[in-house]
Amino acid sequence: MADQQLLVETLVALADTLVDDYDVIDFMQTLAERSVDLLDVSAAGIMLADADGRLRHAACSSEQMRLVELLELQLQEGPCFEAFERQTAVRSGTFEEVASRWPRFAPKAREGGFVAVSAVPLRLRGSALGALNLFSDRPNELDDADLSVVQAMADIATIGMLQERLIHDQSVLTTQLQTALESRIVIEQAKGIVAERNRIDVDEAFQQIRRFTRSANRRLSDTARAIVDGSLTAELVAPGASR
Amino acid sequence: MTGSHAFDPERVERVSAALASDGQDPRRSLCVASAGVARVSGAGVVLIMQGRALGTVCASSAVAEAAEDLQFTLGEGPCVDAFSTRAPVLVPDLGADDVVRWPSFREGALAAGIRGAFGFPILIGSVCIGALNLYHERPGALSDEQVADAAVVAHVAGHTVLGWQSVAGVGSLARQLEHLPANRAVVHQATGMISVQASVRVDDAIAVMRAYAFSTNRPITDVATDVVGGTVRFG
Repeated sequence: MADQQLLVETLVALADTLVDDYDVIDFMQTLAERSVDLLDVSAAGIMLADADGRLRHAACSSEQMRLVELLELQLQEGPCFEAFERQTAVRSGTFEEVASRWPRFAPKAREGGFVAVSAVPLRLRGSALGALNLFSDRPNELDDADLSVVQAMADIATIGMLQERLIHDQSVLTTQLQTALESRIVIEQAKGIVAERNRIDVDEAFQQIRRFTRSANRRLSDTARAIVDGSLTAELVAPGASR
Repeated sequence: MTGSHAFDPERVERVSAALASDGQDPRRSLCVASAGVARVSGAGVVLIMQGRALGTVCASSAVAEAAEDLQFTLGEGPCVDAFSTRAPVLVPDLGADDVVRWPSFREGALAAGIRGAFGFPILIGSVCIGALNLYHERPGALSDEQVADAAVVAHVAGHTVLGWQSVAGVGSLARQLEHLPANRAVVHQATGMISVQASVRVDDAIAVMRAYAFSTNRPITDVATDVVGGTVRFG
């Protein structure tokens, strides 16, 4: 059973990293390290699914090469892969169990000095984002309470990650919205500049800008921006202007 | 992590339901519902970038529309302050003697029949994209409940607008935002013309036009129409 005080400190540490300058890798690193402190295991690693749904190594409690390899070889088989695919916690407390369950993964785990493993999925409402893998250098059956502690931490990590993705998506949208609105203003301003400079009305000015845009194979907003910032003079937009 | 965390989920749910479009005119229903939820006479939603108004999304009534035009003409008012301070701006009575902010907006708003003027920033994460303006025809402070509701209205309105934009392609503007008030187009055209006439940058040209509109006591859209029509020239 995990130490209560340590558990509270861990949850606070994880919550702290969720604010402001959130970095997903830093956050996963904290999660991996804290899992080791809290659960009396030797090492922890986290895999996250990429855009194609393939698991990729995201963080480890130590930069031991064998640990990274152990995570990376779990593309088809292993506790991390299984927790991710089935979206449920898996645990094997003895090497015999590990060997019978994951025959290709087991010898590599032993080479790395690990005989017991377990993993929990990073999941929220039916979608899995990855999994957290725990390794022990001696037989070690995590009990249900341990497993729920790990799952709670994994859940916090998942929420943090989804939140970060949402913020990213929103900032992309915000930029698109502002750019689109600004383009319309700039186009109107450009019409005014061309109308005044070429002594025509604004509708005719718009026709000139459109014709120039089409023949120069540019975008309307780019032509307008160039007119407004002065890099394209209004005279050049007029028909018959030498370009 | 984001501003939304400060909001009570039940309040967000209630406001979201109230602001859900009836499908007729999504922009207008957004503003009418905003005024309704906040229990004030009128509401307006403005999108702002780097302190520059990009467009009024909607206004719930003719009076709210007039107030939006006024803020756009003058470049001052509750939405401008809510945007720059990223905090609610509450003026319960524009008619009170001790109100010193927005001298020009105050005068115009009072003439239009507005007494209470309130601005709430529209934040998406940590980015402010605009403001919600609330107007009341009677003087009086908003209750704590009204302030809390209005902050959520601003939040929901911002996400509603982003929701519209999310189905538009990259480089295009949300269908619901396409037909912003035509009078604003005239202002931007006039800005371009003045920048040539007076040999100034467009940012300065709009300031020139604002000053002229203010000194001649006319709405900026009227001045802009004259500039585009050639009857008013600068330089």
